[in-house]
Amino acid sequence: MKRPSVLALAVVVLAAGCSAPGADEKSTGDGTGPIKIALVDAQSGQLSSLGAWELKGARLAVDEWNAAGGINGRQVQLDVFDDQGDPTTGTNLARKIDSEGYLAMIGTAESAVTIAMAPILKQAEIPNITSGQSPGLVAVGSEFLFLNGPTSTTYDETLAEHIVDKQGIKSIAMITNNGSYGKGEHDAFLKALQARSVTPVADQVVTTDQKDFSAVLTGIRQKNPKVIFLGAEEVESGLIVKQARDLGITATFAGAAPQGTPVFLDTAGVANAEGTIVSSPYLGNDVSDASKKFAAAYKTKFNEEAELHGAKAYDGTQIMLTALKTSNVATGKALADAIRATKYQGLLGSFAFDQTGVGIFATSIGTIKGGKLVAAAG
Amino acid sequence: MSTPPAAVPRTTGTPRMRTRIAILAAAAIAAWLLPYGLDSYAIHVVDVILIFAILAVGLGLAMGIAGQVNLAQVAFFGVGAYATAILTTRAGLGFWVSAVLAVLATMAIGLVVGTPALRVQSHYLGIVTLGLALAFTSWVTNAEVSGGAEGLPGIPVPTLPGIDLTSEYLYYYLELFAFVVALGFGEFIVRTSLGRRMRAMRDDALAAGALGAEVPILRMTAFLLASVYGGVAGVLYAGLIQYVAPESFSIATMFLLLAMVIIGGRQSLVGCVVGAVSLALVREALVDHPTIAQIAYGSVVVLVVVFAPTGLAGLPSRIRDAVARRRGRRGVPARMTPFVPYEMSAAADPDAPAILRVQGVTKQFRGLKALDDVSLDVPAGEIRGVVGPNGSGKTTLFNVISGLYRPTSGRVEFRGRDMTAHAPYRLARAGMSRTFQNLRLFGALTVQENILVAIDRSHTAESWRYLLRPISVLRRDRDLHRRAREVIDRFGLTEFAELAPGALPYGTQRRVEIARAVAAAPALLLLDEPAAGLNGEEVRQLSEIVRSIRDSGVTVIVIEHNMGLVMSLCERVTVLAGGRVIAEGTPAQVARTPAVIEAYLGDSMGDLPEVSAT
Repeated sequence: MKRPSVLALAVVVLAAGCSAPGADEKSTGDGTGPIKIALVDAQSGQLSSLGAWELKGARLAVDEWNAAGGINGRQVQLDVFDDQGDPTTGTNLARKIDSEGYLAMIGTAESAVTIAMAPILKQAEIPNITSGQSPGLVAVGSEFLFLNGPTSTTYDETLAEHIVDKQGIKSIAMITNNGSYGKGEHDAFLKALQARSVTPVADQVVTTDQKDFSAVLTGIRQKNPKVIFLGAEEVESGLIVKQARDLGITATFAGAAPQGTPVFLDTAGVANAEGTIVSSPYLGNDVSDASKKFAAAYKTKFNEEAELHGAKAYDGTQIMLTALKTSNVATGKALADAIRATKYQGLLGSFAFDQTGVGIFATSIGTIKGGKLVAAAG
Repeated sequence: MSTPPAAVPRTTGTPRMRTRIAILAAAAIAAWLLPYGLDSYAIHVVDVILIFAILAVGLGLAMGIAGQVNLAQVAFFGVGAYATAILTTRAGLGFWVSAVLAVLATMAIGLVVGTPALRVQSHYLGIVTLGLALAFTSWVTNAEVSGGAEGLPGIPVPTLPGIDLTSEYLYYYLELFAFVVALGFGEFIVRTSLGRRMRAMRDDALAAGALGAEVPILRMTAFLLASVYGGVAGVLYAGLIQYVAPESFSIATMFLLLAMVIIGGRQSLVGCVVGAVSLALVREALVDHPTIAQIAYGSVVVLVVVFAPTGLAGLPSRIRDAVARRRGRRGVPARMTPFVPYEMSAAADPDAPAILRVQGVTKQFRGLKALDDVSLDVPAGEIRGVVGPNGSGKTTLFNVISGLYRPTSGRVEFRGRDMTAHAPYRLARAGMSRTFQNLRLFGALTVQENILVAIDRSHTAESWRYLLRPISVLRRDRDLHRRAREVIDRFGLTEFAELAPGALPYGTQRRVEIARAVAAAPALLLLDEPAAGLNGEEVRQLSEIVRSIRDSGVTVIVIEHNMGLVMSLCERVTVLAGGRVIAEGTPAQVARTPAVIEAYLGDSMGDLPEVSAT
């Protein structure tokens, strides 16, 4: 009774065993219907605010194009995927957008997630414009990976250039945290200083959730530095500045993008933050006509103030869509080449990509004056 | 996979066995054919799920089976992956060499993480292990060798002759092999000596120790096992993703893992796998709906915890029970059969040397002197009664003798050796066995398994046999089952063998505990109020059982309030009051001592029986 079915099963198993699985038929986008672009970012978890900003910037760009008739008469479809800030989930999503026929990807804001996805996207030939800024993204060496801003090295290099070379200040202390952002800032800024033969008078590392910095700051006060470099996120930086002023430290603070944000200003107090030097590719919404227009559209659509991350994602998406148009909706390698060839005047400046996938190599220096970030003179 | 035949109850052997083999075969074929139906996205997800399943089985072994709250499983995972990454990309070693070294490194970390378990348990242990997991992520974020926040890319894909593992389809088979071995080995442990002891320790570490389970070694073994599984999963992760970053081993991942184990059912390894698979699939299904993902995902976890506290794995049996209850079909209730007396082995010899010698023992709890200079000699082959009003220090004396308490001063000699304050399991292995005043049976083990834990005298340190000589483990286990059967049959518990002790009548539980204590083949048996809660007939049976146990050559000390039993059963009686020995002698002598009468008057006259010379 049972024998035939068992036998049949065995035959199936054997037959299956002879050919390897995974003869993959790939469903790339056909010539009709909407152009599918995936936005992968943390929509939940600790990094979700970053993901939300990114989504708004990208959405704004896509909606503008669609309102103007899309690309070659086709609408652009932007779908959101939540990577939860987790590299493993990121690799799942890389496979998913590949199998579901997305032409290109915007995101992520988290360098580690992007690096984890890069080999799969490279294999699948899906161009990706990320908001990450870690030098590790460049080290991956994928011709399908592009950055929508400068690397963190540029932020700190420009900052060191301004402080040391232009202002001639050599008495610099550093406070960084031991999280991934702080660690990156620490290494990049220290390297920029060492290249100028400057040794920081103090190099203090705090934890990411520390709230009391009096011990660290007391130590720094004795060294009496002219500038204190901050490598920490918005709130922590704000707390450090506030507590430093309470201890009577009068030194100027300096840092990258987080120190130019309203959150930092609110935490530190406007008076305390006065004079802070900020290295950022996007100093604010009032810098140029383009940024004013972007900020107004952003405000109308989402009813909140635009900021750096939205601006970066907006630029990145604009570049992606421009490349799709110039290449006549190409895919894979041709699309990557089109992105590399795209010259674009964006909110962050002029983009011109090199072989590493970086398109912009400068940040601007701003200072906080009266609670506002303004471009520094010179 | 080896399913030890001995673990299957004899009575229902063949039909159950056959369905099991059929299910296993179907699962094997399904697993083999699975990749043929999947696209490249789905196979990647399956590859990731298998890694998490291995991790979950490891966590299940430590937490569900051994009861060790281990929130550092994600760090084990990370150590395995990072070690592989560092050894391949920085030291330039081959993948497989790195893999072996990585698992060894993880085991070393496992032993370090496990050390606190020797001092603290439950949620305290959770906090300590969580701290160690956090320390790990912090370290890899900041250390040079681990690539800092950027992590380590470019890990080579493992190579196997003739198989291209860069294909995630073929990588699936590598993982499947590792998974089957991991699950099979885990089940092998759970169903045999080592796992039984771990489960006993989880249910009641004190009682397990008193029965000879080496609690400290078992706890370390639990962490060692968890770390091996974590290391293997880490190696497979490194080979699959080819990149490691601190975020992959974050606390969020740890809680995901924890949720997998709890949802699946932590007391069953298959449950852990079910949890890993279902939660990963739920997560994957919700990826397209990021706005509701968190709420939906949280709801699933809460719903399962509320409506299926035993996890998904426990659902079938809960449903079966509910259906049986609805139908009102309760079957024939199991019945206790009469005790079969032992062969008389040696008559009591009044001049035998003392098997237990307690000398000047004082036990002080802060200001309270529970025992005050207590001395006591018990010759081999005697039935000794220890009586006294409530709070007179009887149970404290037992706890000092059996090693649960360290006396403030004085010494305890057992079989001619000073055994003062030796660990309970050492005393148990030296031939001492005890019961507890308020029953300490292993609730989640069957009656038979309770007995098996006691019979098993092997050393946990010999667990290497599981790796190198699995057949000898099985053979030994079969022998243990045979001997357990004998004890169960002798104590008339045959019909209860497969039941959980918690569901049994109180009198039956008492008898199970005595059977368990005797199964350890002790030279000295300590019974703490064995008649409490028994009816008249049961007390009579108890008296018969204790006498027969003594006749088989075991010395017995009984704490008892039932004076009728003490007077008829014991050859000599020691009376404690206020932590001091106030009288010792034959029951008749003691009952006439004025100090004893006075002590009992202060308590309750009713306890003191009319003494008639016997």
